[in-house]
Amino acid sequence: MSYFANRFLHMLFVLWAVATILFFMFRLMPGTPLAAFIDSTLTEDQQLALIVQFGLDRPLYEQYWKFLVNLVQGDLGRSFFFKKPVTEVVLSVFPNTILLTVTSLVIAYVFGIVVGAFLAWKRGTWIEGVGIPIVLTTRAAPEFWLGMVLLAIFSFNLHWFPSGGANATGSYWDSDWQRIFSADYAHHLALPALTLAVYLQGLPLLLMRSNMLEVMQEEFVTMARMKGLSEWTIVMRHAARNAMLPVVTAFALGIGFSVGGNVVVETVFSWPGLGRLLVNAVASSDYPLAQGAFLLITVVLVTMNFIADMLYAVLDPRVSHGSHE
Amino acid sequence: MPPPPPILSIRGLQIHYRTDRGVIRAVDGASFDVPAGAVVGLVGESGCGKTTAARAITGVIPANASVVGGEVVYDGRDLAGLSHRKMAPLRWREIAFIPQSAMNSLDPVYRVGAQVLEVLVDRGGYDRKRADARAAELFQMVGLDVKRLRDYPHQFSGGMRQRAAIALALALEPRLIIADEPVTALDVVVQRQVLDLFKALQRRLGLSVILVTHDISVVAYVCDQVVVMYAGKIVESGPVEAVLTRPSHPYTMGLYNAFPDLQRSGGTLVPIDGSPPDLIDPPKSCRFQARCPFQQPRCDAPPDLEPVGDDHYAACWRADDAAELRRLAESPATWERSPA
Amino acid sequence: MAVTSEPRIAVRRPPRLRRMLDGLRRLIALPAHDPFALAGLVIYTVFVLVAILADVLATHDPLEILFLESGRLARSLPAGADHFLGTTNLGRDIYSQLVHGTRGALIVGLAAAIAVVTVGTVVGLVSGYLGGMVDTVLMRLADIALGIPFLPFVIVLAAFLEPSMWNVVLGIALLLWPNTGRVIRSQVLSLRERSFVEAAKVTGSGTLRILFVHIAPNILPLSLLYGSIAVGWAILTEAAINFLGFGASDAVSWGYMLQDAYASQALSRGHYFWFVPPGLCIVVVVVAGFLISRGYEEVFFPKLRE
Repeated sequence: MSYFANRFLHMLFVLWAVATILFFMFRLMPGTPLAAFIDSTLTEDQQLALIVQFGLDRPLYEQYWKFLVNLVQGDLGRSFFFKKPVTEVVLSVFPNTILLTVTSLVIAYVFGIVVGAFLAWKRGTWIEGVGIPIVLTTRAAPEFWLGMVLLAIFSFNLHWFPSGGANATGSYWDSDWQRIFSADYAHHLALPALTLAVYLQGLPLLLMRSNMLEVMQEEFVTMARMKGLSEWTIVMRHAARNAMLPVVTAFALGIGFSVGGNVVVETVFSWPGLGRLLVNAVASSDYPLAQGAFLLITVVLVTMNFIADMLYAVLDPRVSHGSHE
Repeated sequence: MPPPPPILSIRGLQIHYRTDRGVIRAVDGASFDVPAGAVVGLVGESGCGKTTAARAITGVIPANASVVGGEVVYDGRDLAGLSHRKMAPLRWREIAFIPQSAMNSLDPVYRVGAQVLEVLVDRGGYDRKRADARAAELFQMVGLDVKRLRDYPHQFSGGMRQRAAIALALALEPRLIIADEPVTALDVVVQRQVLDLFKALQRRLGLSVILVTHDISVVAYVCDQVVVMYAGKIVESGPVEAVLTRPSHPYTMGLYNAFPDLQRSGGTLVPIDGSPPDLIDPPKSCRFQARCPFQQPRCDAPPDLEPVGDDHYAACWRADDAAELRRLAESPATWERSPA
Repeated sequence: MAVTSEPRIAVRRPPRLRRMLDGLRRLIALPAHDPFALAGLVIYTVFVLVAILADVLATHDPLEILFLESGRLARSLPAGADHFLGTTNLGRDIYSQLVHGTRGALIVGLAAAIAVVTVGTVVGLVSGYLGGMVDTVLMRLADIALGIPFLPFVIVLAAFLEPSMWNVVLGIALLLWPNTGRVIRSQVLSLRERSFVEAAKVTGSGTLRILFVHIAPNILPLSLLYGSIAVGWAILTEAAINFLGFGASDAVSWGYMLQDAYASQALSRGHYFWFVPPGLCIVVVVVAGFLISRGYEEVFFPKLRE
């Protein structure tokens, strides 16, 4: 129990620290005059109201306190561009990012685990000799370039997939739910998810392979052979289960990492996600929105790090069941 | 009436390892018998080939090792020639293994009980209910609390783990047990306890055992017969009482001096100077010659195992002078190297 | 007969020099054993040469808008003798852009690698050796750095500071040192207890001296390993930043080429010669880095033997 509490407090600490860094970054860096938080198209009264709300006329530490208080209450200010609360804008695109991330990760990890175990089995053969360089190449390719190539071939050339966005332009949906769980959405999701999956599968693949190779050298595998257990039992029930632990943790970490890292893929495919929102907000100096998007990405990252910690504790009996004599 | 045939008979066993540096001739012509119901100690320093030979009996050897000659006859069949599949029915049901460190030999992510059940169900054909009962019985046999079946391996202490390893080995009522340094990783007090348990079980169940160890005091405590190995070869073998009270090979004499005795305290520790020869290109002479305080020119030719007593063999040209050599071996001065 | 004993002059080579020479020897000997690492080194060498000789190898000025003899814009020309990879839709020679792009990539890669290695190593050394409060603080900083999303951070940096490739280097230096730092730290923790450190302490060596003279040479291979991995990351990140439009617009980089191609509808026009080569170059350079770092990993930390 105390492990959980320990990691949870740690997570809160990191969140607080990063929020603080964010605060100073967006206020003190060159190129962000304090006044940039006030949309100049607002009336003077509205501007004054905002100044008071954010405490921009107050000393920095008071601003900081206000910032934290607002943050905890879920108030991230108003977007200059959308003229709506940042929280609302950010949360409206959040599902798109999550769906893209999770879909591509699931594909990548299922593929990576299976092929990684397979390559471990084929150690020393030509399959390994050819497979490893191919995997290394996928890890070396910029995802957005992969996206561009796939887009050029499968969308513009073959017309199998749409070239951008999450839904067909001009389409109308009764509800968000229907919009997301539609064939149209899936059709749009396919290419970006595939692009990301190609890029992401390298990690679980190499990790699974290396873990399997290590585990197969362990004494308990030798013992299992001496017991006369079948090779299938040994590989599936014992080796894979041991080798999977770090891969499962990596999956959780991958979610956290991808949410921010998907920026470029979202841009190539015009996928309306958090990353693209951040890029557009930064480019158009919409600071409240940029800050909000950045913050949400960070929250997901730190939360997934925490979940990964927990996962490992739960899945590895050596951690979940402490030793007691 | 002739004595019953040995349960295991090893003849001229040769095992090689392929490495980057060359081929290591880890076991170079070993022959000995394991009488039914006896505990045979296989003793020697690390690298002498005892572990390799013992593990080879189970048929599970490292990928770069191979049995290049000799036979391992169990129940009239040569195990050395058997394929992995043909060997399978014997595994654990007839021949079981107790490892040196049970920590690494149990899967850390499954409960100990589950691993016992696995052997019982998968290999023994037990149904779940009978398997549960048998698992409990096994734990009781080795003095472990039955509740512990629900624990994970890392929750056991060292001594408890070795007991669990013994329980696992006995699961399918094997006839032959190979124990590879079963108590080496334990502290002295726990060693005693586990060895006592082991001895009691062995007597009760009539098990035949090959017990590999580098510690001659363990041999003295538990074994009926002993086989002394050096540099891939057997240098002496025979009943424990004979070999330990009347060692006929200089190496055995030195070994005895090098270890404190479990049963009597005192006595000076006299290590044997030097180290074993390189097994990639072993010397053509007696392999112990370089470290032997009694070596003579005739030791340039390797000696064979010759009888020196009742069922007692030694491979030394000076075996006839064994009594005299024994006397000399007792004094530390004999073993001190002369300045180069 | 008088026997004069010659004074015995003990010739002792300084231990650290010996260690460094040994390390160097291993470094150089590597390619002989690992054909992949050798391939990686060859590729790196080729790219470095291209970068150095870019002005000579390029056929045109990369940013110059070119015209045909007829006075028309040399736009979107296919690959040919004049233009090995054709021209962009604004009439710029693609091949020359590609050649010049090596410079930006390699400079960023090298700078970032040095930055990560330096920060990570120093933190690891200090944290591991001093322990206590210093260690705690540094490791908390590491946790915070790991909690900040990398690409978004570099984007924000690039937007607020002057757009230049140094933003990428700064972002990498600020956020990617924790992994290196942690590994170095655990190495130092184990080295700290070793006898040669104890000996140094007994003879009165100061902390700094122990750190940099005795411990550092032992962890240098590890640092280099992480440095070589950082190079690949830096190049990929820099390409991403440029693609998003946050890079310096006067320098020609592979990322810039890709952004240009994308924005100019090269994809829908099937203008493969424009956007495929820059990506391929990135892939090749980064893979070379992987091969080299895997090769060294096997040498210094052989885990899986045959």
